[in-house]
Amino acid sequence: MLASGVVDQERRSQWLRGVLDMCVLAMLSGGESYGYHLVQAVEAAGLGPIKGGTLYPVLLRLESTGLVATDWRQGPSGPARKYYRITGPGQATLRQATLDWQSFSSDVNAILQRGNAILQKGGTRDDQ
Amino acid sequence: MTKLGVVADMTLREMLRRRGVLILLLALPLAFYAVRRNGNSGESIRALFLGLCWAISAAALFSSAAGRAVEPRLRLSGYRSHHLYLGRLAALLVLGTGIAVPLLALVAVDPAQNAVSLGGVALAMLLCVTVAAPFGLLIAALVPRELEGTLVLLVIVGIQMVVDPAGAGAKLMPFWSSREIATYAVDHTGPGYLDRGLVHGAAFTVALALLVAVLSTYRLRTRSHMRFASGR
Amino acid sequence: MTISDGWLHDLGMELRRRGVPGGTADHVVAEAATHLRDSGEPPMAAFGPAAAYAAVVSDSVGDAWRRARRPVPGSVRLRARGITKRYRRREVLTGVDLTVYAGQVAAVVGANGCGKSTFLRICAGLISPDKGTVQVDGSIGYCPQDGGTIEFLRPEEHFVLVGGGRDWPRERSRAMGRAAAATLDWDPSTPELSRHLSGGTRQKLNLIMAGLGDPDVLLLDEPYQGFDRGTYVDFWQQVWRWRDNGRAVVVVTHMLTQFDLVDTVLDLSGADQGRRSQ
Repeated sequence: MLASGVVDQERRSQWLRGVLDMCVLAMLSGGESYGYHLVQAVEAAGLGPIKGGTLYPVLLRLESTGLVATDWRQGPSGPARKYYRITGPGQATLRQATLDWQSFSSDVNAILQRGNAILQKGGTRDDQ
Repeated sequence: MTKLGVVADMTLREMLRRRGVLILLLALPLAFYAVRRNGNSGESIRALFLGLCWAISAAALFSSAAGRAVEPRLRLSGYRSHHLYLGRLAALLVLGTGIAVPLLALVAVDPAQNAVSLGGVALAMLLCVTVAAPFGLLIAALVPRELEGTLVLLVIVGIQMVVDPAGAGAKLMPFWSSREIATYAVDHTGPGYLDRGLVHGAAFTVALALLVAVLSTYRLRTRSHMRFASGR
Repeated sequence: MTISDGWLHDLGMELRRRGVPGGTADHVVAEAATHLRDSGEPPMAAFGPAAAYAAVVSDSVGDAWRRARRPVPGSVRLRARGITKRYRRREVLTGVDLTVYAGQVAAVVGANGCGKSTFLRICAGLISPDKGTVQVDGSIGYCPQDGGTIEFLRPEEHFVLVGGGRDWPRERSRAMGRAAAATLDWDPSTPELSRHLSGGTRQKLNLIMAGLGDPDVLLLDEPYQGFDRGTYVDFWQQVWRWRDNGRAVVVVTHMLTQFDLVDTVLDLSGADQGRRSQ
C-alpha cells in the first residue's frame, strides 16, 4: 500500500491520457497559447508534469480534427512559435465533453463511495 | 530488333564475365587437339572440332540455366519468346565465332597441318558453332538442371567420339557434319564429303533451332487461365 | 546543444520516412526545437527516442492525411476467381478469389506453406492453376521472394534488360532504375555483379525491376527479405506511392502489422475452403 498523499503514478498517467485533450481545450478557452506554455499550465493546474512527447501529439490530433487552429508567429523574443487557439467546433466539443465527463465522473464517484462506505461499516458485500 | 539486341548483349556480357568458364571453353578444344596431334592429321582436326562442339554446347547449357529464372519476368516486361531464345542464340554464335577464330589460326600456323584445306576447316568450325549452340539450348530446355544437362552432353559427345562415321546411326549424331567436312579438308576427297557435311550441318542447325523455338515458346507461353482486358 | 541537434535531425528523417508531408514534418521539428529551448530539457527526457516520437506524431497526423490523399478506387485491375491448385494430392489453394482495383493495396497473408507464393505466381501468369481464371487489365510487374536476378550482370544492366522490353533506350532504363533505387536509399551504379550484392540489396534490385516501366498491377512476394528497418519503411512508402498513382498492388506477407494501411486482406491460412477476400 502506498502512503496516503502519494498518488500511484501509473494509474494517474492513464487517467491523464484520457482527459488531456479536453483539458488542453479548456486551457485554450482562456486565449491562445503555445506548447511549452501549455505544459507549464497543465503542471500548475495540479495534473503534474507532462512531457513534450505527450502534449504535442495531442495538439496535432486536435489540429487535424479541426478543434484548434494554429499559426506561426514571431514570439516576443527569439524564434517563431506555433500558437494554438480554440475554434468554434472546439468550443462545442469542449462543452459536450465537459457534460459527458461530469456525468461519467459522478457515476464513478458514486460507485467508489458506496464501496468505501461498505468497507468502513466493517463488512463485505457477501454479508449483505 | 532492339529487343533481340538487348537480350543478345546482356547474354554475351554475362558469359564473358565468367572468366574461368571461358578459359575452359578454349582449353577444351585445345586439349583435344593436343592429345591427338601425334596421330595423323585428320585425328587431331576431328578432335579439335569435337572439343569445340562440346565447349559451345556447354556454354549454351550454362547460359540458358542462368537466364531461366528471369525469362518469365522478361516476358512480363514486354519481350516475346522469340526475342529471348534468338537473342541468346545470337550471343552464343558470337561467342562461338570468338573461340573458333584463334583455333583456326592455330591450325593455320601449325606445321603439322600444312596439307589441310583451311577453307574446309573454317566451314566445319562454323557448322560446329551453329549446331552446338542450339543443341546446348535444347538440352537445357529438356533437362533444366545444369548437372544433369552436363551429363547428357557428356554422353552424347562420348557416343559421337566412338561411333563409326560410316555406320548406320552415325548420321543421327548432331556433330557428324564436322567429321565429314574434316575428312574433306584433310584428305582432299571429292566434293561428296563436303556436300553431305554441309547438308547435315545446315539441316541440324535449322531443326535444333526450331525445336528450341517450340520448347521455349511453350515454356514461356501465356497461360490459358489468364484473361487480358483489351486495349493495352 | 549537439545532442539536441542530432536528435532533431533524426526526428526529421524519421518523419519523412513515415510519409509525413514535408511542411508538417518541418513544423513538428521546429516546434520540438522551440520546446527544448524553452524548457531546457534534454530531448530524450522531453520526447523520448526520435523514432518513437515520430511514430506517435505520424499516427496523429497520418490517418486524416492519408485518408484525404487516398484516391477513389478505379476500375478492376486484377480479378482472380476460383483459383484451385493441387500439388501431389494436397490441395494448396481451393477456390480462392481476389479482386483488386486501381489505387488499392491488397495483402495476402497466411502461415508459411499455405500457398501465398503459388497464388501470386498464378496471378502473374507464371504457373497454371488446376481451376480458375485471372483477369488482368494492364501490364504486370512481379517481384519474387528471392532469386530473379542474373548473377553475372551488374544492377544497371538488369535495368537495361527490363527496360528493353518496353523498347526504352539504355540510358532511359538506367535513369529510371536509378530514380527508383533512390527511393530505397540505394545507389545502383556500382560495378559490382549481382552475385556479390548482399541479400537485402539484391532484393532492392528485384523490387526495382518489378516496378520499372510503371506496370498497372504489382505483385510482390514478400520482397523485403533482408531489408533493414529503414528500407522496410521506404518499401511501404513506395507501395503507398504506387497506390496513390492508381496502381493495383498485391503484397504477400506473413506478418502484417498495420492492417489499416491496406485496403483488402486475403487470408489463405485456416481450414475453411473457398476462402474469400474481405
